[in-house]
Amino acid sequence: MGVNESLGAVVKAFPQAHLVAFADLSSRMILSSTGPLSTTQEYLDRLCDQARTSFDDPLFSLSVEAFGEPNAAVVMGPDTVRIFLRSDVEPADALCCICDHGIDLPAFVAKIRGTLESITHAG
Amino acid sequence: MNRGTLPILARLQSLQTSGRFVAGGTRVLAEATDRNPVAQILRAANETMLPRSLRFFSESGPSLTLDVAGRRILRVTDAQGLPSAQDCLGVGALEDEHKDALIKLLQGVAVQRHELHVATGPIGRGGEAVSVGLPVALLADLLLVELNPIGPDEEPAALAEAPTEPQVEEADVSGSGFQGFAAAMGPSLIAWLIDGGAEDGRSDGPDEMVSHLQGFLADERDSLERQFDLLSALPGDPICMILGATLVEGHSIIGARLGPAVLLGVVEGDATTAVLGAWRAALR
Repeated sequence: MGVNESLGAVVKAFPQAHLVAFADLSSRMILSSTGPLSTTQEYLDRLCDQARTSFDDPLFSLSVEAFGEPNAAVVMGPDTVRIFLRSDVEPADALCCICDHGIDLPAFVAKIRGTLESITHAG
Repeated sequence: MNRGTLPILARLQSLQTSGRFVAGGTRVLAEATDRNPVAQILRAANETMLPRSLRFFSESGPSLTLDVAGRRILRVTDAQGLPSAQDCLGVGALEDEHKDALIKLLQGVAVQRHELHVATGPIGRGGEAVSVGLPVALLADLLLVELNPIGPDEEPAALAEAPTEPQVEEADVSGSGFQGFAAAMGPSLIAWLIDGGAEDGRSDGPDEMVSHLQGFLADERDSLERQFDLLSALPGDPICMILGATLVEGHSIIGARLGPAVLLGVVEGDATTAVLGAWRAALR
């Protein structure tokens, strides 16, 4: 299954997911995205920057000091939930997702963890 | 993106939207699945530059008629099925003192899970328009509505095809704010501390952990606020963030901001099950 198909399967399984994107955090680029949310390139660039910010100081250092390097972040605003997941083996590979508050978060995180692993291993 | 282009992009998007018209020439402004129909009212008013009378009515019964011009709501000319409408009805030109009463009327007519319709007509009172009234942008700020919904926190429900009923359990707590958040997280939140705001200094958990969190906030509070701002649609917006190796096992760090208050905590085990309900409890 290609990257687009893998991302599409996530959106199909979770209607509360409005955007699922595969990013290269080292080059700050969204390489592929899917979902019903209409976006501009600037929007995708900002989403990628937000993923990098999530894995940055000061919370990153606190996490590293206390428990080790984090590879998953959930960011909740008033209306949406953003989930950023980095690959354990290739930290530049990441999934960036935008969902609404109705998402089944435990199931969704498990699903995108498997999706990211399959994309990274396939690459 | 230059924020000055947002209204233009929003307008272009709205022009591409296939509007649904119903009997009587009225337009469906919000579907029954729309989680924030008040936002649709404000956006409709915000797009009205020339003087117009906009009659909003819900399938469930109430209706509200407004004179609107130049992105301002000038006056309320009719209200049906809405209590306390008299606070605005006799007013020739709405002013700041009427904003709370007007917001109640807008919320009263924007009944969730019912279609909301709008009909446009000539402005009331013989075409008389005034240059005052309440700016739509002011009401949008008070209601936390993004008038140009292109951005990370745009209202997602309108984009979803299926109704988005929350699937996680509502937090069984009566409190709001961070006290409610901590209660709703339950025992998985093993240590936490609140800095700033009305709940300043409250904490729970092992002394050693709380002390570590205190030391971190003493040094990093400003940089933590900056990190939150980079992740928010607007500086100072409410935000909650969990960071962990997997989020479902081991430990995770949780950081959140509500107004002037910041919560910092440690979650043990699964951080994903309770956090959405807890965050809703905090926002209540």
